[in-house]
Amino acid sequence: MTTSAIFRRIVWVSTPLLVLLAAFAFLGISVGSSRLTPADAFQALLGRGPEPDMLTNIIWRIRLPRVILGALVGSTLSLGGLVFQALLRNPLAEPYILGISGGSAVGAIIGILLGFSRVPGVCLTAFSGSMAVLALVVLMGRGGIRLKKDALLLSGVMINAFCSSVITFLLSISQDARIHNILFWLMGDLSLPDLAQAGLLALIVLPCFLLIFRYANVMNLLLMGKEAARTMGVNTGAASLVLLLATSFMVSATVSYCGLLGFVGLVMPHLLRLVLGPDHRVLVPACILGGGAYMILCDILARVLPTQGEMPTGVITAMIGAPLFIYLLKRSRI
Amino acid sequence: MTPGKKRPALEVRHFSHGYRETLVLKDLSFAVDRGDFFILIGPNGSGKTTLMKALAGIIPAAGSLKVLGRPVESYSRKALARHIAWVPQQLPLDFPFSVREMVLMGRAPHQGILGFETREDMAVAERIMAVTDIGSLADRKLNCLSGGELQRVFIAKALCQEPDILLLDEPTAFLDLAHQIQVMDLLEQLKQERGITIVMVSHDLNLAAMYGDRLLLMRDGGILSLGSPNAVLTFSLLEAAYGCVLLTEKSPLGDFPRVTTVPGRIAKRAVNRLCRQADGLDAVAGDPSREE
Amino acid sequence: MPGPRVLITAALVSLMLMMPGPLIPCPDAEDRVLQDPAGRSVRVPADPRRVVALAPSVTEIVFALKQAHRLVGATRFSDYPAEAEQIPKVGSYVRLDLEKITALAPDLCIAVKDGNPVDVVMRLEALNIPVYAVDPRSLDTVMTAIRAVGELLNAPEAAASMVGEMQRRISRVRRLAATAETRPGVFFQIGVNPIVSAGTPTFIHELIIAAGGRNLAAGDIPYPRFSREEVLMTAPDILIITSMARGGLFEKVKREWMAWSDMPAVRNRRVHILDSDVLDRPGPRMVDGLEQLFGIIHPGLGNGE
Repeated sequence: MTTSAIFRRIVWVSTPLLVLLAAFAFLGISVGSSRLTPADAFQALLGRGPEPDMLTNIIWRIRLPRVILGALVGSTLSLGGLVFQALLRNPLAEPYILGISGGSAVGAIIGILLGFSRVPGVCLTAFSGSMAVLALVVLMGRGGIRLKKDALLLSGVMINAFCSSVITFLLSISQDARIHNILFWLMGDLSLPDLAQAGLLALIVLPCFLLIFRYANVMNLLLMGKEAARTMGVNTGAASLVLLLATSFMVSATVSYCGLLGFVGLVMPHLLRLVLGPDHRVLVPACILGGGAYMILCDILARVLPTQGEMPTGVITAMIGAPLFIYLLKRSRI
Repeated sequence: MTPGKKRPALEVRHFSHGYRETLVLKDLSFAVDRGDFFILIGPNGSGKTTLMKALAGIIPAAGSLKVLGRPVESYSRKALARHIAWVPQQLPLDFPFSVREMVLMGRAPHQGILGFETREDMAVAERIMAVTDIGSLADRKLNCLSGGELQRVFIAKALCQEPDILLLDEPTAFLDLAHQIQVMDLLEQLKQERGITIVMVSHDLNLAAMYGDRLLLMRDGGILSLGSPNAVLTFSLLEAAYGCVLLTEKSPLGDFPRVTTVPGRIAKRAVNRLCRQADGLDAVAGDPSREE
Repeated sequence: MPGPRVLITAALVSLMLMMPGPLIPCPDAEDRVLQDPAGRSVRVPADPRRVVALAPSVTEIVFALKQAHRLVGATRFSDYPAEAEQIPKVGSYVRLDLEKITALAPDLCIAVKDGNPVDVVMRLEALNIPVYAVDPRSLDTVMTAIRAVGELLNAPEAAASMVGEMQRRISRVRRLAATAETRPGVFFQIGVNPIVSAGTPTFIHELIIAAGGRNLAAGDIPYPRFSREEVLMTAPDILIITSMARGGLFEKVKREWMAWSDMPAVRNRRVHILDSDVLDRPGPRMVDGLEQLFGIIHPGLGNGE
């Protein structure tokens, strides 16, 4: 089978991004609040080094899960933003737009107030919250048997706004200790899940990545509008539904673990599109790899920049993401 | 159908489409032959664009539609896309694809599950870009093209589907005169060289007259007339369809009519004469024996 | 089609397979299994040498029991006594730095139930670091916590004598308070904007009652909010504003109250600012706080200490 030009292009784009991801991942493992050097980290990865017990524990069970989680979260959010921007044909679409942020936050807060631990209690309540809201948004966005994109968008925005007020209310009746937990969840927090949980998340989202890649060319066709796509043989109803559900599912799963990390899903697709062009067959792997690398970098900065303690990673993604987005606005014609 | 005669490209029976009490298409039945240059004309609201979209499968319609002799339901969506291609008037251009990328998208009905182009796909696209004379534009972004160039790109994309039937929705609507002729000439060339059936909606009666093999004149969702330009573009039929005075005469350029709109001031003065000479006017100048 | 995704999946799977098991030292025959005040069964070393205190109140208790030589880490706001500032910091008690704690290779962590996040405690235990949780919420439970920590750190006598001394002082205050004719109404202001007080389920309420006062914010809500009018309606005999000894702002708050001369507390010039450290932290110094309160509420009935 002769390799097609597009396949070669995908490899040419993905390879440097993969290298970047690996580099940032190693950097992420080498950096932390205890004084371990990158050389120590390298030794630990190979399974030997000074004080193996403590070192290995720190590298493998504290830093590595965090890095893996960062990569998964960054990939999922970037890919989620890409898919929603294509599905809704709206450059301001981002993965939380259909109410996932509101629903999962309300679910998580209820879980925290009920005293559940993060895993599995709060994860499950957050996930149920976002799935419930998604069902509501889809029901509200139906026009007959088809999904109307504007109706979906509006429903999502309204539900997010409503959930915001619910969140504010819940915060106002919460007591001290719980408020801390809630705020950390809302700001996004990569530190809590351990290696097994990170692995579980990988098992959940990786099939979604593959499924979305299978629909990458369909997304290209959908950009021309449903009518034109249909005349080119695309089953637009089924395709839209599959993309919507797969993306919402993986974003909800990610948010349930790590809270609401913002701006990644909005900025990464635009940045990559500016550099690589609008072909989704290239953008899907690019978002997965590039988004993952970006999030690991933000997490490294969140751990390294403050002199005391660490900043919430969500603050870094916003502080980098917002100016970056403004720059992209000026560069391209969004 | 007579055995031995080729099945028509499109066969429509009892097509209806409407919302609640209003029927936009009222029980239409007609056939389009293979290799026809078939043009739908009529005033706004006559249903021609709705009919076109129903033929393309974009909107549902009651009644039966047969494509190349088989009911349309018997085709999968992808298979149907290999026989019928629709050329839209405009497309949303939010994302900056290049001309080549857009044309290659037309290969989708022939591609596998991941939508990766093969060498053959690329070759087909190159050939078609040459035919539609957009080869030099291949790497330009879509939002940098003129209306005429864009229309040719859309046609090229549709041609990549390697269809038997091309459906076009007012392809010349926003083009200036030179580009209008360019596009129509291209369509005619496709019809003659490749035997593609062209079904088109047009608001321009003269273009319809010059290029069409058969015209379908619609009004209020129904068919007023179906036939050659000479048969359809008569004074009385046009007045019935458009509700205004239109001067028809034989065109100096060939064996087809020329339709001219008549300003009010002339119509008032000449209306009696026009009415009296209605038949005479319809008669081709210099050929008094030809009467409809 | 081979692709990067396959490689990533393969890498992840192999990483997971290579994950090492727990490598902290194996349980010692010398270890004890104790039940902590939070009801958890914890296996602790017989002689903890590397202890991390996960809350400032715990640090205070350890220092008070003279076992500070065992401490290798404490949370950020462990500032009393002054020597505690020298101990390596492991984040704040709501946001513990797991990596720093692990890097210190502790053999015991002492946590506060309901203060430290449950998830971090669970992760520490998954790393085979024993976590013992105390629950100092009220006068009684602080004593229990002190005794528990004393047992943990092999200083039971110091704990017993400390607890005994504290109980003596508390009984004295209660005795003196019982001789008072009235129980003045006390409004205890914690927050400035909005005005927040302490309800019945709080430590401060218990102290006020023990000091012979009447808590005007008593009720089910732990930290109820009041508007200025509502405070005026309660007509407090005594108004106490807590501060973190930062002067400025709270003097201003006091001056604002002094404008309302109808309020009994203002008329009788019984508006006080108290250092909140002593009252916020249920620990060894809480008796100091109790005696201070008593001195404010019943100034005539003998001094506190």
